Amino acid sequence: MMDFVHGALATLVLLTLVKSAPIVYAALGGVISERSGIVNIGLEGMMTGGAFAAVVASYATGNAAVGLVAGVAVGALLGFVLGYGATKFKVDQIVAGMGINLIAAGGAAYGLVLLYNQPGASPQVHALGRWYWLLILFAFVCAFALHHVLYRTPWGLRVRACGENPRAVTSAGLDPLRFRLYAAVISGALAGLGGAFLSIGEVNIYSEGMTAGRGFIALAAVIFGRWTPWGATGAAVFFGFFEALQFVLQGRVAWLPSEAMQALPYLAALVALCGLVGKVRAPASDGVPY
Amino acid sequence: MNAYRRLFSGPLGAIAIAVALAALAMIVAGVSPIAGFSALFGGALGGTSDIAETLVQTTALLFPALGITLAFRGGLFNIGAEGQLLIGGLAAGAVGAHLHAPTAVAAVVLLGLGAIAGGVWGGLAGWMKAYFNANEIISTLMLNFVAAALASYLVVGPLRSPQATGAETAPLPHSAWLPLIVPDTRLSISILIAIALAFLLRFVLTRTIFGYELRAVGEAPEAARRNGVQMRRMTWLTLALSGAISGLGGATIVTGVMHTFNTELSPGYGFTAIAVALVGDLDPLWVCVAAFGFGILESGGLAMQAVAQVPKDAIHVIEGCIILILAARRYVATRTESAPV
Repeated sequence: MMDFVHGALATLVLLTLVKSAPIVYAALGGVISERSGIVNIGLEGMMTGGAFAAVVASYATGNAAVGLVAGVAVGALLGFVLGYGATKFKVDQIVAGMGINLIAAGGAAYGLVLLYNQPGASPQVHALGRWYWLLILFAFVCAFALHHVLYRTPWGLRVRACGENPRAVTSAGLDPLRFRLYAAVISGALAGLGGAFLSIGEVNIYSEGMTAGRGFIALAAVIFGRWTPWGATGAAVFFGFFEALQFVLQGRVAWLPSEAMQALPYLAALVALCGLVGKVRAPASDGVPY
Repeated sequence: MNAYRRLFSGPLGAIAIAVALAALAMIVAGVSPIAGFSALFGGALGGTSDIAETLVQTTALLFPALGITLAFRGGLFNIGAEGQLLIGGLAAGAVGAHLHAPTAVAAVVLLGLGAIAGGVWGGLAGWMKAYFNANEIISTLMLNFVAAALASYLVVGPLRSPQATGAETAPLPHSAWLPLIVPDTRLSISILIAIALAFLLRFVLTRTIFGYELRAVGEAPEAARRNGVQMRRMTWLTLALSGAISGLGGATIVTGVMHTFNTELSPGYGFTAIAVALVGDLDPLWVCVAAFGFGILESGGLAMQAVAQVPKDAIHVIEGCIILILAARRYVATRTESAPV
């Protein structure tokens, strides 16, 4: 019994890290875009795009590192689509984000059939192997970096100002739209990295629906973490923990259905959204075109 | 520039670009667009049974699209139609399996239950918005996942039929099935209900005080508030009604098409319905037309894949592009000001 407990605990800790990392990446992406004033509902699609592109590039070149870069690039590209639409055409960011989700999911499914002639999942490709532990670590480095950039650099101050009061940025002689565009691209890149982690980090294939709502969980983490990098990271780890717990407890605890844990991140976000765990306030100009 | 933007940001521009994209997707897949489109339209409209199937898809999209239309017109971004649809279907399936009543009674009871369940689900987001100022975009989105988890738990556990091979509720007795319009197809009278609902919704929106207030809140919330519209009541009522329409749709899928409930109820109708509502320009009658167009895509997509070997998922890329293009028009006034009072 004790052996099982020890084993399970060790598994739980490691699994929590593995399951948290992609959510942390996407959540940090959500933080930066929302702090700049762009709501990113498209995180899920950007993760999907990153996951699929990573597999395609790794398959084509036989090199997982290239796959990783491709994942980040496609995520960034989708972020650019959202950012460009939001700044140049003042699109409704929610609607555009939903569109990006549909395009990414449909595009990946279309690509699977077209490239590999097999619906549902890609062939096996070269994965990152041990490097993916580094990638887990890097997620937390990113959290630290984003915190530093947002709160300790002029650039970060300006990004936050764009999310609160873009007019103030304009009157300071700067173009808020440019900051928003950059933030959206970085947001997409981070989500793409999270997606690539899923496909060529954790496993070595892309399978349809593999992001399984993690982009939306990340969105929940952003809210639960009150739009701060460390807060969102903490929430992402919290949600990752429950995902890991689900694996460890599988079939062992009959009274707690796994669906309850699946629903947990969303319920937590709803509770936070209602302001039941302290004051939750989105950036004042979040989602408002300028 | 302005004229150009207006042209291409409108539904017509979106459709034109979608057709071009579809042609491109076909060419990339190595199929001539003529062959691809003829497979698409042949599969959707080629014969009586094809048309019936297209109308089944149309109906499935039309209900949530009407629900979304109502919410958007009221200035509320309901992207939770998928969950509301599921919950409505769940309620109808759970009760319908044990309901032995004449068809007319069963239909009223089950569709009513679906509407109530969906209404509660939507109203929940509305209540959170009205009393806690919880952003409805996020809450409706999150409630989708809660609905999926709840439905999955119930069909795997308490509601699972011992006779069924998969995780689903016991089948509905024949008396609870919605009557078919065309025999030997899946097309039930639910399409007539949906179209009637569209006319009713248009009437409510344009000819009643409630509809006027709802639109006022959507277009100029501050003006509406100062003119005495009860914002809180309006907020939860709008989302509850919106959810009820989607829930009703879910119930028609269970009683008219599936005759049981499982989590496969919707392959994303609630999300596609957003595109349907936007293409229909948030006018209930045009939404009907748009739903038919998307119904063609949904049912023709399979034929396109089977006959012309163009992956049907290309359809979703096209739908996504339509949404992206239409996002350039503002439908819902973004409300950032503090709690509605």
